[in-house]
Amino acid sequence: MNHISLTINKKMYSIDVEEDVRLIDLLRDQLFLTGTKEGCGEGECGACTVIMDGRVVNSCLVMAFQAEGSNITTIEGMSDKDELHPIQKAFLDKGAVQCGFCTPGMVLSAKSLLDKNENPTREEIREGISGNLCRCTGYNKIVDAIELASKEIREEKKE
Amino acid sequence: MKPLNIVGSRVIRVDGKAKVKGEAIYPQDIYLDGMLYGKTIRSTKVHAMIEVDTKKAETVEGVVKILTYKDVTGENHHGVVFKDHEVFCSKKVRRIGDPIAFVIANSERVAKKAAEMIEIKYKELPAVFNPIDAMKEDSIKIHGDSNIIYHYKCRKGNVNEGFEKSHVIVEREYKTSMVEHAFLQPEAGVSYIDEEGKICVCASTQYPHFDQIEVAEALGLKLENVKIMNPAVGGAFGGREDITLQIHLALATMVTKKPVKVVYTREESFHAHSKRHPIIMKYKTGADKNGKLLSMEVNLIGDTGSYASWAINVMRKAGIHATGPYEIPNVKIDSYAVYTNNPFCGAMRGFGATQTPIGSEQQMDIIANELGIDPIQIRLINGFKVGSETSNGQVLSESVPLKRCIEEVKNRMFKE
Repeated sequence: MNHISLTINKKMYSIDVEEDVRLIDLLRDQLFLTGTKEGCGEGECGACTVIMDGRVVNSCLVMAFQAEGSNITTIEGMSDKDELHPIQKAFLDKGAVQCGFCTPGMVLSAKSLLDKNENPTREEIREGISGNLCRCTGYNKIVDAIELASKEIREEKKE
Repeated sequence: MKPLNIVGSRVIRVDGKAKVKGEAIYPQDIYLDGMLYGKTIRSTKVHAMIEVDTKKAETVEGVVKILTYKDVTGENHHGVVFKDHEVFCSKKVRRIGDPIAFVIANSERVAKKAAEMIEIKYKELPAVFNPIDAMKEDSIKIHGDSNIIYHYKCRKGNVNEGFEKSHVIVEREYKTSMVEHAFLQPEAGVSYIDEEGKICVCASTQYPHFDQIEVAEALGLKLENVKIMNPAVGGAFGGREDITLQIHLALATMVTKKPVKVVYTREESFHAHSKRHPIIMKYKTGADKNGKLLSMEVNLIGDTGSYASWAINVMRKAGIHATGPYEIPNVKIDSYAVYTNNPFCGAMRGFGATQTPIGSEQQMDIIANELGIDPIQIRLINGFKVGSETSNGQVLSESVPLKRCIEEVKNRMFKE
C-alpha cells in the first residue's frame, strides 16, 4: 500500500493506493470519476486520456503511485455543474458526439492542444487527436468542432 | 401539414450534454453496494470435448460460486435465429472463446485468480476452417449433420443465353476478410434483484426486448420477471445483437441473490461477440460491346464460423445485393452460409451488402477497361433508375438518385 497526495480538478486528495492500481482505477473505482473511460487498457485508444501536469497521458498506462504530487484534469474538471467549456459546446454544435465513449478523451486532447496552440491548422488538430480513436467514424466532425472551439476561444480572449 | 419541429432543423442530441461532460452512464460506470464480480472462463481450443473441474478454484478465499452448464436452470441455449449457442458449453467447444464457466467472487482480483485455477481437460477434435471444405459431405460437422445452414437462390432470365450474346465476359474470384467491430466500449453489465423480486440486467445491447426473452428462457423464468435495461451504448455496429454476458449475469444474481458486475477486457470483447462474414465470391459478368450488362452469375460462400447468429439474413442480403445497383436481364445467384470452427459471424454495418461491392464493382472496372469505356460511363449506362427491376424482381418505383449521385461525384472529383 502507498499513500499519495495529488490534485485532481483543483481539489487536493490524500489517499491510499495498492501497488498494482493504475491511475484509471484510482479515478474510477476509488474516486468514482467515471467520465474517464477504459477502451483497451494498453494505451492504443485514448479513451482514458487525462491531462497530467499539462501533458495528455493515457491513465491506463500510469500507475497510481506515479501520480504522487501531480496535478490532474479529468473530464469532470472541464466545466462547472451546468456550464460547458467552449470545446464541449463546439462538440455538440458540430455533431461530433455519437456513442460518446471517446468523447471525454477527445475533449481533453483538444484542450491540451488548444492550451499550447490556440490557432491550429486542421493537420495540427488531426495530429493533436491522433492518440484518440473514434470507432463511430466521426473524425471530420470532431476536427470541425475543435476548429470552431479554437475560433470561439480566440474571440472570447479579444473581448 | 403542420411544420415539423425536429425534421429539417438543427437539434442537439438528447444525450449530447451528458456525453461531453463525462456524465453519461455506461454499464461499467455503475457501482452498487455489496456488488460481486464475475469472470468468464473461455475455451482455448477450436474444437474439443471438455471436462471441467472447479473444485480447486472454489477453495480460493472470496469465491462465492462458480457457474457451469449444470447451474443453468432453464434451457442451456440462446441464439437470434437458431438456438445453437450454449450458455455454458456442456460437452463440446466449437471455437476459441466459447464460454465454459463463470466465477462469482467478492472482488475482480479474486475472480481472475480463481478463473485461472479452473481445470479444463480438452480432448481435441479435428477442426475445419475453410468453408469450401466444410461444405463437403465428408467434412467434420460443427452442429448436426450438415455445415450448410442456408442456400439463397436467385434466378432471373437465362444466364447462358446472356453470356452467348455477350461481347466480353469477365470471370474473377474475390475474397473479403473477417472484420471486428471494435466498438470503443467493451461489453460490461450489472445485474441485481429489484424491490419486486425481478431479475434486472443493465447491459449495452442492440436488442433489449429479445435479450429479455433469451434470459427468461435460459433461467426458466416468466418473461415479466426479467428486466433488461439499456444504459449508454458505446458503439455497437451489429456486434451487440447477440447475447454475450446478459444470461451469465442474470443467472449469477439469481443464484447469489446479490448484485453482480462484469467488465470485459478488450481481448475478451474480441472473443465474445460476432464478426463480419468473410465471403468467397465468384463472379462471371457479360456485357455487349457498348458496355450494357447482359448476364451475371455469382456464387457466394459466407463463413459464418461456429454459430449461425444472423447468417441467414446476412447471406440473403449479400445475394440480393450481389449485382450491385445495375440493371442486368439475366442473373443467377447462389449464396451460402456455412459453419466452420472460426469465430462466429453475424451482423456488422451493412449486413452482407458491404462485402459484395468488392466483387461487383471490380467487375465493372475490368469490363470497362476491356471495352475501352470510361469506368464512370459504364456505371451511368447500367445504373438503376426509376422503373428498373432488381435481380430479385423488385420494380423501383420511386427515389433512385444513383445517376445524379455519380454525376455529382464526377463533377466534384474532376473539377479543374
